[in-house]
Amino acid sequence: MTAHPELEGAGPDPAVLKDEMRAAAEFLSRPPPSGRSSKGGGAPRTSDLSVDEEFALHSVGWEPIQLVCGVSLYSIPMGVWNWGQGEIGPASTAYARAFAAATHRIHRECTDVGGRGVVGVHIESEVHRHHVDVALVGTAVRAVGSKGPSADPVFVSDLSGRDFALLHASGWEPLGLAVGASFVYAPRRSAGMAIKQKSQNVELANFTEAMYSARESAMERMQRAALEMDGTGVVEVKVTEGPMGFARHAIGFTAYGTVVRLVAGRHRPLRPRMVLPVDDPVVRFEAAAIRGK
Amino acid sequence: MADVPADLPEAAGRRFADGAFTSALTVPDFAACLQLGLEPIGYVQGFCVMQWRWYGMGATFGPFGQFTGPGNRGWSENWPCPHGLVSAEHRGFGQNYEQSWIEDAWRQGFDAAYGRMVEEATSAGAHGVVGVVDASEPLGDLGVLEFRVQGTAVRVVGGRAPAGGRPWTTYLAGQRLAKSIEAGFAPVSIAAAVSSVRVWAYCVTEYLTEGSSPGWGYQVAATEIEQTARAHMAVRRIARDQVRSQLHGDSFHGASMVTRQRELGQGDAELQCTLRGNRVRRFKEFDPLPPPQPTVRLR
Repeated sequence: MTAHPELEGAGPDPAVLKDEMRAAAEFLSRPPPSGRSSKGGGAPRTSDLSVDEEFALHSVGWEPIQLVCGVSLYSIPMGVWNWGQGEIGPASTAYARAFAAATHRIHRECTDVGGRGVVGVHIESEVHRHHVDVALVGTAVRAVGSKGPSADPVFVSDLSGRDFALLHASGWEPLGLAVGASFVYAPRRSAGMAIKQKSQNVELANFTEAMYSARESAMERMQRAALEMDGTGVVEVKVTEGPMGFARHAIGFTAYGTVVRLVAGRHRPLRPRMVLPVDDPVVRFEAAAIRGK
Repeated sequence: MADVPADLPEAAGRRFADGAFTSALTVPDFAACLQLGLEPIGYVQGFCVMQWRWYGMGATFGPFGQFTGPGNRGWSENWPCPHGLVSAEHRGFGQNYEQSWIEDAWRQGFDAAYGRMVEEATSAGAHGVVGVVDASEPLGDLGVLEFRVQGTAVRVVGGRAPAGGRPWTTYLAGQRLAKSIEAGFAPVSIAAAVSSVRVWAYCVTEYLTEGSSPGWGYQVAATEIEQTARAHMAVRRIARDQVRSQLHGDSFHGASMVTRQRELGQGDAELQCTLRGNRVRRFKEFDPLPPPQPTVRLR
């Protein structure tokens, strides 16, 4: 016992934990029953959620069902990365379509396993010179105890199990992924302008404008997607931006996030407790340290 | 301590007999294991080095194993060209097919390394192995692949040995293992699988992937590269099916799925998906946990 019981963690009693571990060992000492070996029955479940995430989900009445995925590759027509002006429409379209097709496939897998939605979706998207690849992998979830296909529309979200639980606890629900992408040419400077700016550190207005243009178009598309889903807003937006590796005069900007909507009467505040961690950062051994300074 | 199996190095036996335990656990994980009543016994490991060529596994398959190899099995689908006979260079036929010999070779290497680790743990009298890490990496430029599976062997203080004396294994350790146990999931074993799919591009896939001019009216707009997309879906599905076949009714938690694509030119590609995670078994009804408390860390 410590002199300050209020400083003790709220963790489980160690004696109870040891009993639980012995009970698990006792269970594993018996051969597994034929057929389904897990208590609780049901089909074997697969999930890429961490233990923490799974428990966070359970705490708000949801459970994982199956690992699901969706992939799509779309071609980018040849020649679109050559010098030009304005938006590189075919590339932006290819990105949007690849994302939509991948989302459609993960949706379908989720529906097939009786899920109400997909959480913790890992999103991999790559833009190559001639194609865009999008891969989504996540865990289909449903309310604990619900059976069969859901009548409600399926959602796909890149929120972690923890974030989903927090969102749920505060009265909101995810509706889906909103995506926006735009690829824009940074127009050539005139020869005179290039020579004039060569030895100066000055703003390259063509690049600034291209960045602005790409960013605004992509964000607008993402926002429009959120509105089409009847969402209130988008959370956890991730963006990538910069010149394309294979065409430095082209600027790409992509943004995606989870569309959310308030379903409770009003937002429920979470009132977090403050904690003061007393652990030190992990100290790693440095070979140079033994020589001293 | 039981006798050391014949194929384990003699040093392994001496190491476990020395009295001091060894482990790869971090201090927090070590503390959590003690809290669970798990007593570390020793760091156990299994290795296997396999010759690794992309083609010719099992020596009965040539570079066109899908057409001629007698032992290939698994999923495949054909992609016939819609243009008819055009020229000798025209890719008039495409195929996506599972490279079962690569999957089998991976399984052989992984199972051997895993089995050796478990054997070492068994010989040390362990009930389980926690904090397992595994890797399969090329060993220099020798054209070989080394499989490594390592973890910390533990004994449940006052607990019974697992059925058949074969220790359970898990990638988890420390507090996460404690939480899993607390929620009613007993670790059974790690589960892992690799699936491999080859994309043998037909003309349309080649045009779309390479951006070459088809002259057939394709590529006028962004078009889905259906053959490669289907191969990507298939490689992930096969990996999941293989893992499910190892579960025997148990659940699979904390999965990690990594897919790599090797571009081979002209639209051809080789896809490999590695899926690993923890096979767990419910040993008691689910205890609802108290709702987690949101906190803010002060620094």
